[in-house]
Amino acid sequence: MNWKKFFIAFVAAFGFIFLFGFLWYGKLMNGAHQEVPILWRTDADFGNHFSALIFGHIVMAFFLTLVCGRFVPAGGAAACATLGILVALIYAGADLITFAVQPLTTKILCGWIAGDLIQFAIAGAIIGALYKSESRMTT
Amino acid sequence: MKRLVFAFIAAYAFIFLWGWLLNGVFLKDVYAQTPNLWRSQSEMIGLFHWIIIGQALIVFSFVIIYASGFAGGGVIAGIRLGVLLEIAAIGMRLGFYAVQPIPGKLILYGSIGGLVEMVIVGAMVGAIYKPVPPRTA
Repeated sequence: MNWKKFFIAFVAAFGFIFLFGFLWYGKLMNGAHQEVPILWRTDADFGNHFSALIFGHIVMAFFLTLVCGRFVPAGGAAACATLGILVALIYAGADLITFAVQPLTTKILCGWIAGDLIQFAIAGAIIGALYKSESRMTT
Repeated sequence: MKRLVFAFIAAYAFIFLWGWLLNGVFLKDVYAQTPNLWRSQSEMIGLFHWIIIGQALIVFSFVIIYASGFAGGGVIAGIRLGVLLEIAAIGMRLGFYAVQPIPGKLILYGSIGGLVEMVIVGAMVGAIYKPVPPRTA
């Protein structure tokens, strides 16, 4: 494994996932989320737990990069984007279960699933474009 | 293809049973500490099909990822994939914990339970699914 390329791909994936999450879930879906205010922390409480959000994104980006490195050792945007979509389907499955047990609206459910698919497809493509193993680089 | 279907059915049956044991029995009291965050029992029963579809989607994606990039490694490769995907899912749980007033205990126990679940699912899929050997001319 080319650890330098891996690290660059991980940092780029983290940057994208965090920015996309802020824009999609934090801004675009803010109105939908406010329809069920009881489910969310207050702004002050959210501020106190912000480190968990950062750490969670670091973990997601790191392990997505690791799975991409193992799944597609030679890299490649298309192959890793496909893997990203498959990983997003796992998250979409978890969203469906959450919808069944928490009082979410269908608007929130659809927004989360669409967000997962876009987020992980693009994150996968970024990782695949940046991460290339030594064998591919030398051939 | 037959083995892929067997792996899916076996993993799904396990995930369904484990999900019920973990969330419906072991963690029942922890969930009860935050009743405002959860649907009522009758509402959940009415939406139960979404749990079945969600679990099926998780297992389907897992089996496809394994078959496309990890098959051939057997049980160890399956466990490895399960651990990688579950740790990524723990990242997602931490994200939920940051925005929802979910008890930390629930995140901790849910993550430990999720890790056990995915290790077993990975082992089952790795043991059952075998790639078709390439045909020799």
